Amino acid sequence: MKYLFLALSSFLAITAQMIAGNNFFIFNFLDLSLILIAYWAIYRSRTQALFVGSLTGLLLDAAMGWPLGYNGFGKTLAAFIIGQSWKRFNTRESWVQFAIIAVSSLASSVSMFGLFWIMQRTTSRIFLGASLVQALVTAFITIVIFTLMETYRHNQADKAH
Amino acid sequence: MPSNVSSKKNRERAVVVIIPLLVFQLALLSFQIQNPDGITPIKMVVLAIQAPVVHISSIITDGIGNLWSNYVWLVGARAENEQLRETVRRLSRLNSSYEQIKQENTRLNRLLSMKDRFPNRTVGARVIARTPGFLSNVLYINRGLKDGLRTDFPVISGDGIIGRTILVTGNQSQVQLITNPDASIGVMMENTRTLGVLSGSGDSLLDLNYISNTEQINPGDVVLSSGFDTIFPKGFRIGTVVDCRKGEGVFYQIKVEPAVDLYHVEEVSVILMEP
Repeated sequence: MKYLFLALSSFLAITAQMIAGNNFFIFNFLDLSLILIAYWAIYRSRTQALFVGSLTGLLLDAAMGWPLGYNGFGKTLAAFIIGQSWKRFNTRESWVQFAIIAVSSLASSVSMFGLFWIMQRTTSRIFLGASLVQALVTAFITIVIFTLMETYRHNQADKAH
Repeated sequence: MPSNVSSKKNRERAVVVIIPLLVFQLALLSFQIQNPDGITPIKMVVLAIQAPVVHISSIITDGIGNLWSNYVWLVGARAENEQLRETVRRLSRLNSSYEQIKQENTRLNRLLSMKDRFPNRTVGARVIARTPGFLSNVLYINRGLKDGLRTDFPVISGDGIIGRTILVTGNQSQVQLITNPDASIGVMMENTRTLGVLSGSGDSLLDLNYISNTEQINPGDVVLSSGFDTIFPKGFRIGTVVDCRKGEGVFYQIKVEPAVDLYHVEEVSVILMEP
């Protein structure tokens, strides 16, 4: 059941992004799947986050019409970086959280860029520049969402006490 | 202390899990180099599951848009007390909707005139989704197997070639745009009839390859499909040369701007090719 939920959430994140991207251009620079991966890595289990990353990446490849594996590799790596870094650094500071998410997003893109190069696949010159914008936008939105979640949790906890 | 031990265990477990996962992804990529069609069934399953969700969402999005333009906006306008302002707004809205209908009509007319030039039957389709991400090189259209579509059918708009179908399910198809890095088209120059190969580069401009340095190519020259790739019929407009430099080897380095605004295309036609 848990794994079905994992798959469903990955699928919904990608479908939501496809639909939103078609109607609002800004959604093309927001990586909803990375927000989902970050959620699993931070609030659930780091190991499960790796599976979410892997599965989401594969679904993303299928949706984008790419050979399977590019996003799969990148998103797995991103899940690993977020999971490993979150406990090591002082993530009470928002800028540290921002940096971790942005770096993981960028690492995911750079790893894909590397795979493109190894596989001799043509790559757009704007790929890395756009990836940087995507990393910054995604990190910002992630921090906003997580801050709202934390505030809600604290309020609920206060009410319970 | 126990929490430290548990954290360390979790970290070690993550390291143990990530290695086979990354190796699996790399193995999958390697497998596709040897057998590009091997993963098509997986993609088909994903598309088949996505199809109803995307279809319903496009209906909902259109519905909300219609509700807004036909009802909510109208009710808001009625609330205005000044009759004159109301009339001006209503006329302006009317004008705007006429303008949209006119533009759509022009686009559809261009599409029809394009269709008439070719003997094959065509099917009209609407773009219902784009791939996630800024390098949107794949579109989804609301026509599929039930409408007679198959893989590798050319997709066109009133201005020229858009791409080809790469995955087709019952009611929906995935279209690979000509800007996709995996896309290539056999082309010829309109003026000189010189043959070449046009490839997607992942961004908005296309690379025109294998045109000899000795040919006369200038910015503004029109590029047409040659028909030699056996997918796209001969004579379709593809784009215009925007940059042309003599390469280090024997070929030009040419950049071509697509004739179609691929980021804003809404209606397309699919040419039903004979098997």
